[in-house]
Amino acid sequence: MEDIHEIRKRRRTLQETMNFMAALSAGIEPILGRGANSMTMSAGRNLGRKFSENAAKTDDLLTAINEVRRVLEENHCLWGFEPFQPSGQQDMITTNENGETQLLLVFKDCMIRQSLFRFGHPQQGSLCNMMYGFFAGALENIMGKKTRLDIKHAGENACLKVLTVTA
Amino acid sequence: MVQMEIREKACRGCKFCIDVCPTDALAFDEATQKAVVKTVEDCIGCLSCAYLCPSGAISHSGHHVVKNFYRNLYFSQRMEKFL
Repeated sequence: MEDIHEIRKRRRTLQETMNFMAALSAGIEPILGRGANSMTMSAGRNLGRKFSENAAKTDDLLTAINEVRRVLEENHCLWGFEPFQPSGQQDMITTNENGETQLLLVFKDCMIRQSLFRFGHPQQGSLCNMMYGFFAGALENIMGKKTRLDIKHAGENACLKVLTVTA
Repeated sequence: MVQMEIREKACRGCKFCIDVCPTDALAFDEATQKAVVKTVEDCIGCLSCAYLCPSGAISHSGHHVVKNFYRNLYFSQRMEKFL
């Protein structure tokens, strides 16, 4: 078993790095404008591609989502998420007017949100876009399709996002 | 399972909670002019309604608690002058 002090030390290091990342992303937004989002999205996509290099390929969205979760856990990323089906919705996976497949995801324990709150940075900024990039990169490898992860609601204790897979 | 309670006496009927809820778990009762819980199973526990409610009428239980970041008190004290 790993020494508790070593785990705490690693956690502190991760958290201070995340705080630094949050400050950095909040700082670049006024300078780069919308370019900041492209930058972090691209960084997230590269990370997603790299982490999911050896992931199992599938066409099924729910299986692909589980594969993304496995990839995150394997790389010690603390990003808990789960699919969400509202009570008035027949199926978990829906199709929008453009024929694209959609799935709602709830993000509960998110280290990005915690980093942003630590110093009062706003949500839905460039660092949140990194998560979109990660999903896009990982699902590109797993499903071979382009995806979008839009923020439907950024809450204080959980966020609701819509994952869209292009037809 | 998330449980949500709206204290009827405290609710002013501003509808802020209804507007902010992403899953339409709350509704407005026209008869009483107050917010009511419509579908508690749709609540994702984001707690936005509770944070936004001006009269603090909404409370949750059984929701997940996000692990707070480690706070180094010494570091925070040093940072205070910059904030």
